[in-house]
Amino acid sequence: MDTPSSAFGSRASERAMRIWTLVVLAFIYLPMVAVVLASLSKIRFFMFPIKSWSLEWYGSVLGSIEIRDYLWTSVLIAALVTLISVLLAIAGALAFARYDWKGRTLYQKLILLPIFFPQAVLGLAILLWSSAWDIAPGWELAVFAHLVWIVPVVTLVISIQVYGFDPAVEEAAFDLGASRWQVFKEITLPILWPGIFSGALFAFLLSWGNFPLSTFTTGAEQTIPEWLYAKMVAGYTPQVPALGTLTTLLAGILLLGGYWLGTRGRKQ
Amino acid sequence: MSETILELKGVEKYFGDFVAVERINLSVKDGEFFTLVGPSGSGKTTMIRMLVGMDKPSRGDILMSGERVNDVPANRRPTCMVFQSLALFPHKSVGENIEFPLKLRGEAKHNRKTRAIELLEQLHLSESYYSKKVSECSGGERQRVALARALAFDPQILFFDEPLSALDYRLRKTLEKELKDIQRRTGKTFVYITHSLEEAMVMSDRIAIMRKGRIVQVGTPDEIYNNPANGFVAQFMGEVNEFRVSRKDSQWLEDTETGAQYPAPPDSPVDEGVLIVRPERIRLLSADEKADSTFEGVVEHQYVLGSRVQYQVRVKERALLVETMIGQPFGVGDSVSLGWDADQSVLMSE
Repeated sequence: MDTPSSAFGSRASERAMRIWTLVVLAFIYLPMVAVVLASLSKIRFFMFPIKSWSLEWYGSVLGSIEIRDYLWTSVLIAALVTLISVLLAIAGALAFARYDWKGRTLYQKLILLPIFFPQAVLGLAILLWSSAWDIAPGWELAVFAHLVWIVPVVTLVISIQVYGFDPAVEEAAFDLGASRWQVFKEITLPILWPGIFSGALFAFLLSWGNFPLSTFTTGAEQTIPEWLYAKMVAGYTPQVPALGTLTTLLAGILLLGGYWLGTRGRKQ
Repeated sequence: MSETILELKGVEKYFGDFVAVERINLSVKDGEFFTLVGPSGSGKTTMIRMLVGMDKPSRGDILMSGERVNDVPANRRPTCMVFQSLALFPHKSVGENIEFPLKLRGEAKHNRKTRAIELLEQLHLSESYYSKKVSECSGGERQRVALARALAFDPQILFFDEPLSALDYRLRKTLEKELKDIQRRTGKTFVYITHSLEEAMVMSDRIAIMRKGRIVQVGTPDEIYNNPANGFVAQFMGEVNEFRVSRKDSQWLEDTETGAQYPAPPDSPVDEGVLIVRPERIRLLSADEKADSTFEGVVEHQYVLGSRVQYQVRVKERALLVETMIGQPFGVGDSVSLGWDADQSVLMSE
């Protein structure tokens, strides 16, 4: 596209801007490209430049029963975290952005605190509490730990949507004869839906990629990020970058799919 | 004689220590276009929220068709409201918006659509609007959609919370007339609130003027205009000429500041107070014309208001405001004689 140069800018500053953008993009994407390249190496060890290429590590990742187990644990945790966090966050967001109540400003600050808490410390703290209460670590505890960190994030995401809607719309529906439940089902939920959808997406991806909380709380079970970390510390094979690439792809598809669904929904 | 459909008995509403409305007694007849007028903070919004059922009065009773409805929530009252923001459902089409109350009643899709299109046409919107999105409609079209949705509900009383205030002048005037027209055709009771007395005058059968949580005067537009209950009501209509006076005799009043003499309105029991003369009640007199009182003055300013013109005329120490048809043979600096008849003024004790 031919953009007119601004009153202050010249062609040169425009070019500098473009180069800067490219540098930033390269900076962000280079590590990922390196990982993809590493996954395509035939040799077992992590080294550059790559002398011989192969897709065999992808085959071994997809064929591994062990990895399939971890995948299942990751999906189970992420799915439950998504479901529970969205349910909690809808109520939380309405309390955050919609209703006026005593203690609301305090709540708005308290709900954000867990986001800033170092995750490793949070994970350890949850592990300590659970053992004090004789709760064995496992995927259930991991779900709880993820929720502590993710619910605030999802609450914020949905709150933004809540801020953008006129409360009179709910009153109007009520005034036209709708019950409280009908107001929620017919008005509140559909209007909040874009926010709920992005909140759910966030919840899934944040849980899916989480390492510091999972490592303390999953106990004998393992998630994909945990396995990746363990393999990197000891026993590296190009399975690690191959699995890393696959999970990144999956997350990307989920995001783009979500975006596509979102825009399609708005057009209708 | 039509029956009373809405009655308020000693209604009061407090928010903590704050008294929002106080000692409200009011009755609205079936089929009436009734308007509550007041400046912001006068309690009119609190009033309408209690009437539709979104707030409960702290004291007193609200009766609809003779039944006490204080504790009946908004969704079970036979009334509905057109909101100031219109509150159209942004995720639903125009048609779905209008059909909403019918859908809640379990009407079949086909019947709903027929009714929605009927209402669209009644409000001068073509059938093609049925599937449009709300965001594709202009301000005036949205007004009509909101009204159609309220009419689809088929309320006994339809409330309006200043829905026209955000529109430009011309469109507002058009919609005011349409609204009055629809009210006449449907025969429904409309209760409207606004801060504009001018708007109220155009549409209403009766008007209640509110100030600081109380009703100051209730009457027809004519009564409000000709016999304002006090200075507040008189000024609410627009600028007026005010003179502080005391009675000289049965015929004459004396200006307490300038000593000028004005004719006393007939049969006024007031001996001391404020005499109010509307700018359009003062006449500019030609040589052979007469009024109950006549003054000589000089035109200081001239303001053209479209088809009418306002002159500020200096009469000794006072500047009088005179409004008349445009096309007068006077200009700034000209000497004029002006005057008004006794029955064209109002005397009140404040």
